[in-house]
Amino acid sequence: MLALQLTLTGLQAGALYALTAVGFSLIFGSTRVFHFAHGATFALAAYLFYAVEAAGYGFVPGLLASFAGAIAFGLAIDWFIYRPIQRDEGSFFTVFVASFGIGIVVQNLIGMIFGRSFVTITSPLSRSREILDGVYVAPLAGIAFVVALICLVALGLFLRTTFTGKGLRALSDDPELVRVFGLNPRYLSAAAFAIGSALVVPAAVFTSMSSGLNPAIGHHVMLISLAATIVGGIGSIPGTMIAAFIFGLAENLSLLWFEPQWSEAVVFAILFAAIIARPSGLMGKSAAR
Amino acid sequence: MENYLANLGVLICVYSILAITLNFIMGYAGIFSLAHAVFFGFGAYTGGFIALNYTSSIFVTLPAAMIVAAVLSLLLAIPTLRVRGEYFVAASLGLQILAVTLFSEWKWFTGGIGGLVGIPPVSIFGTEIFRPTSFVIVTLVALVVTIAIFHLLVHSNFGRSLRAIRDSESAAAAFGKNVPVIKTVSLAISAALAGMVGALYASYLAFINVESFMLDTSVLIMAMVIIGGTGTQLGPIVGAIVLLSLPSAITYLNFLPQSEIGAIQQIIYGAGMALLMLFRPGGIVGSGGK
Repeated sequence: MLALQLTLTGLQAGALYALTAVGFSLIFGSTRVFHFAHGATFALAAYLFYAVEAAGYGFVPGLLASFAGAIAFGLAIDWFIYRPIQRDEGSFFTVFVASFGIGIVVQNLIGMIFGRSFVTITSPLSRSREILDGVYVAPLAGIAFVVALICLVALGLFLRTTFTGKGLRALSDDPELVRVFGLNPRYLSAAAFAIGSALVVPAAVFTSMSSGLNPAIGHHVMLISLAATIVGGIGSIPGTMIAAFIFGLAENLSLLWFEPQWSEAVVFAILFAAIIARPSGLMGKSAAR
Repeated sequence: MENYLANLGVLICVYSILAITLNFIMGYAGIFSLAHAVFFGFGAYTGGFIALNYTSSIFVTLPAAMIVAAVLSLLLAIPTLRVRGEYFVAASLGLQILAVTLFSEWKWFTGGIGGLVGIPPVSIFGTEIFRPTSFVIVTLVALVVTIAIFHLLVHSNFGRSLRAIRDSESAAAAFGKNVPVIKTVSLAISAALAGMVGALYASYLAFINVESFMLDTSVLIMAMVIIGGTGTQLGPIVGAIVLLSLPSAITYLNFLPQSEIGAIQQIIYGAGMALLMLFRPGGIVGSGGK
């Protein structure tokens, strides 16, 4: 029974991980920007939702504020930080350091405004019910899982059928060709940041209503997103999704044998094993170099 | 007052050594590690553990700390440095987060959350050195030795190979340089010296716990390197001095909330890192412009 319980929790965690990881993977895959501040986007979205909801304005305004904040943050960092750096052919290093610096600022501002302890939003939906003998599931977990799947399927359709979506996939293959073809890489990169940042919002909102938030949550989110992108194969959205589900399930099923504080060690072990066994990732297109 | 200055001097030396060792892999080998505090920490726990249980002789604790840190760095480097640079960032972030759990749970070696208490002072040929005014000389010697080692390394054949790799990995490989081996060796040297200074730090404070070796510390060391000037010899030291004087500078500004000094300090260097990358990627010491 415990195994079934943990599998269900793991699927829910995996779905939320998939949303954040796919956002990072989309940005990194198409624009080649190592967007380390993606974890900060998550923290920002989650705390905006928390602030609006805790102030008594309700769920929908909170959700809207969270979307607006995440997308604005993603677009602003692309526009004011990454673009000027890339104009002077910034290396991986300069972009990474700038992104990292912004992440530190956001984390500490959140800590100063909201305090450093755990906060969570309680709702009747987050109360667990016994669905089978000894298996408890909160309605929220089911909703989160379904919403995440809908978002992921919608993203897949978007990338396959729309003009912008195809452009984004082309951008990850060959930015020069995209330019020759008459598509504007600037516009596509803004689209990648807007979509990638928006994908974080459902995950941030559900996390604030289930396991809770603290200002340092961005690091955990970033570790999972990075690990899922690498294990899934850089540039492969489906690979990232599968890897995120593997991490969600592994973290939770590991509780059968280990104490909860070791769950991040499980992520690390999988990442490490994957780098050794399959450096190009589960569904990576190219070799690792 | 004398002790205060000596204490500040010790801290500046310790963090300068950490920044120099990180600068060596970041600025010369192009390896971006978020796990430098892990090597520092393993060195500190190894040194402290040996001093508590066996001997506090510097000729035992320092080499042991260096070996443990270097071996750990090899475990991380051998699989991950074969592949893209982003992989190493991810793996080092993972190691850093894992190490915090390890340091707080592995009770017989690290003392758990409580840490190692009552670590005896270092002993050199049987003389115990514990007063800040005399310990500052030990750390100064360590700093000078570290600077000398890296000066020689950077100006040797090995250093030239490193710079070639940093500028173009594929060109260096085409010239017959074994890129993964050179990178792995650089990381091991860097980790060993970070471990050494960890052992000094543990015996100086007589007490260590996990809080000194968390991600924040790795980030602080990285900020010192970047703000001072990556790939320069003076930069890491300048960065260490600037960032270590920040907390006391903030204390003088009365209008800032004093309970938030840690956060304000991190905001300043986070913003500093982003702004430097926009306007002066070379850091304070590095060549201006872009």
